[in-house]
Amino acid sequence: MKRKYSWLALMIVFALALSACGGGGGGGSEEQPPATGGTETPSNEQGGQTEETGGEKPELRMLMQYGMFDPATEYTAKFITEATGYKVNYEMLPAENADEKLNLLVANKEEFDIMKLNAAQFYKLATSGALEPIDELLAAHGNHINNAIKPESWESATIDGTRYAIPETGSGIAIGEELVVRQDWMDELGLKTPTNTDELYEVLKTFKEKKNVIPLTGSKDTIMGDIAAAFGVVNEWNEVDGKLVHMAEMPELREFLAYMRKLYEEGLIDPELPINTAAKAIEKFSGGKAAMYKLAWWNAGNTISALNKNFPEAKAAVIPFLKNKDGVAQIGANAGTTWFIAIPKVSKHKEDAMKLLNAKLEPETFKEMAIGKEGVHHEVKDGKYYPILPKFNDDLNNGSNFLTGVDETNYPIYWQARVRKDPILQSYYEEFQKNAEGITVVNPMSFAPPLDAISKNKLKLGQMLNDHMLAIISGAESLDNYDKFLETWRAEGGADSVAQANEWYQSTK
Amino acid sequence: MSKPSNAIRSSVPEKLFNAFNHLFFILAGITTLLPFVNLLAKSLSSESAVISGTVGLWPVGWQTGTYRYVLQNAMFLNAFQVSVLVTVVGTALSLAMTTITAYPLSKPRLRGRKWFLLLFIFTMLFSGGLIPTYLLMHNLGLVNSLPVLFLPAMVNVFNMLIIKNYFEGLPDSLEESAKLDGAGNIRILLYVVLPLSLPVLATIALFFAVAFWNDYFAPMIYITNPSLKPLQLYLKELLVASGGEFLKDNVDAALNTTPQSIQAASILLATVPILLVYPFLQKYFVKGVLIGSVKG
Repeated sequence: MKRKYSWLALMIVFALALSACGGGGGGGSEEQPPATGGTETPSNEQGGQTEETGGEKPELRMLMQYGMFDPATEYTAKFITEATGYKVNYEMLPAENADEKLNLLVANKEEFDIMKLNAAQFYKLATSGALEPIDELLAAHGNHINNAIKPESWESATIDGTRYAIPETGSGIAIGEELVVRQDWMDELGLKTPTNTDELYEVLKTFKEKKNVIPLTGSKDTIMGDIAAAFGVVNEWNEVDGKLVHMAEMPELREFLAYMRKLYEEGLIDPELPINTAAKAIEKFSGGKAAMYKLAWWNAGNTISALNKNFPEAKAAVIPFLKNKDGVAQIGANAGTTWFIAIPKVSKHKEDAMKLLNAKLEPETFKEMAIGKEGVHHEVKDGKYYPILPKFNDDLNNGSNFLTGVDETNYPIYWQARVRKDPILQSYYEEFQKNAEGITVVNPMSFAPPLDAISKNKLKLGQMLNDHMLAIISGAESLDNYDKFLETWRAEGGADSVAQANEWYQSTK
Repeated sequence: MSKPSNAIRSSVPEKLFNAFNHLFFILAGITTLLPFVNLLAKSLSSESAVISGTVGLWPVGWQTGTYRYVLQNAMFLNAFQVSVLVTVVGTALSLAMTTITAYPLSKPRLRGRKWFLLLFIFTMLFSGGLIPTYLLMHNLGLVNSLPVLFLPAMVNVFNMLIIKNYFEGLPDSLEESAKLDGAGNIRILLYVVLPLSLPVLATIALFFAVAFWNDYFAPMIYITNPSLKPLQLYLKELLVASGGEFLKDNVDAALNTTPQSIQAASILLATVPILLVYPFLQKYFVKGVLIGSVKG
């Protein structure tokens, strides 16, 4: 609603703009330029760059996703220019309304040479013909790229047999979240670490009765995860008898929802779950108001140190992934492509863009982009890369925004240096991964090519399902009416998504 | 004898009423202040206290490093400069343009005045839409430049009408006598009308300044070059980029979120400067709007 008003307001401003044009120009000249007019605002150019003498290399223009930094002053940007000889002007999409802004830029044929897009943006631009097919360019100038990227990743950027982007896969398969509990309270109450959902129920109940705290808190965005996995809903898409089934259509999801509803009804889940943000849930856990929380390892550093500061006697422990009714623990994970590096059709420097992208994946250059120089930014201890602080943070904190495709064999190894910045963070990351070892089930849709119905409906359907699950858990909707919801879900694109997913899945066999 | 007691009796409910009124407005005033106090407390507290939600109106775990950090942050300082520049230049230009638009329109002897007015008011109601306007700005070469933040918004019809109304309220005889002394239109405007209109000009200047300072939508649409982003856009993005939605599936961004205490300090440092303008213009503010709006 708010956004509507701001658009309306903008319209009015525009209206004024048009009327201003008639009287513009001379009228303003009677005003003295204000005193601050002399203060320099930094211009487009990167200051202090050495002029490249390497010949005819044009300046390239790259559009990146939002990040909290000024790319022009970043270490990585300077390094890229040094290593490749290309000067790149970086521009960013806004953090909010990024898709609308991207549409404006593309509709207006802004001449970007390289764009870093997310999956939905990539699919939309590729199918509307805004992106250059890159097969030929890759054959001509892409030797390093072809070495770095694995065939299954290419699949994600291929539409009707043509490649439209370089897929960037990121840090490898990693488990993000796991239940964390106040171990000091567990010990105090003589509780054993729960291994399945029945035991979890008993533990939560004891917390409620004996400690009078919120037994389990959580945020509205991440209700799935280890409890759902213990009911068999491991990933968004799961293979059942050789077919892909979306979690919304799994009978196991109903069991999970019934269980969660029971917890909620008995006050074992935070009553504010449907409105909690992650920050709010962390506030409750680290403030000693909640006993258990599904913590993401990237939040572990802050959360655990705040907890320890507030309650020096507090001890947090990770609960290993719960077993399902067959006594087997499983946990889901997404793999696959996070970003798509595309060359727009309007670019006037397509070959140079590809040469730059290729040069960035030259193994030594790539390594330095990823973790800097050895002895300056990182050091190697027992075969593992460790960051040298604070230099690593100062220079490379935002470095991954500049990546355009990664060396898929080595990047997950390099990347872990980022986790080793903080011992608490590192210990949680490593414990999560250890617990998940051997029981991780990768979402079978991770390496699917962009599929029409899914690209179009994924966000909407995901939101719809999440809202409905929250409504069921909090009692606003009855689980008995789930079939009715499922009908709507199917009609809104769910049925098409399932059909196309399976069509692709059968074709890979 | 009955009279004084009468007076006392009638004044008790009156006093009560007044006391209640005062209390009510003091409470209402405090309510609007509390969020600022809370932010101030957060910005001066240790991050772990902020994360665990223990900070109310008083800092917990005192520190001032957040302010040192924000004031040394090149992006913040750059955005601050851009905002100051846009606000100062934009306010000056807008005030000038709006005034010289309002003045002729306030004179009945201007031929076709009704039509001109209608044209202006038309633009308050209808516009070309976002994409055509973006294309226009692009073709004018304004995208990714500072002028795009103030040039298109230079004449604000609403503010222009306020100034026009004020001009119409000035006695005609003043102008006539100036004319008899040989002054032309420009001289009359500059030396007779404008000095008499300081209240309304100060008011409108404040409207413009606040609007320019707080504008984040126009830069969001027109600016992709990070070094041209003004403060409000910086702030908006700082907050969005630290929120849940943005961090989903973006582990690297999640690892780099801005601590909440620093967010609080940034918000305060971005809001306070424009608040400081209010006390100086407050006296004109009330007077100016009233005078412009009461006719006849």
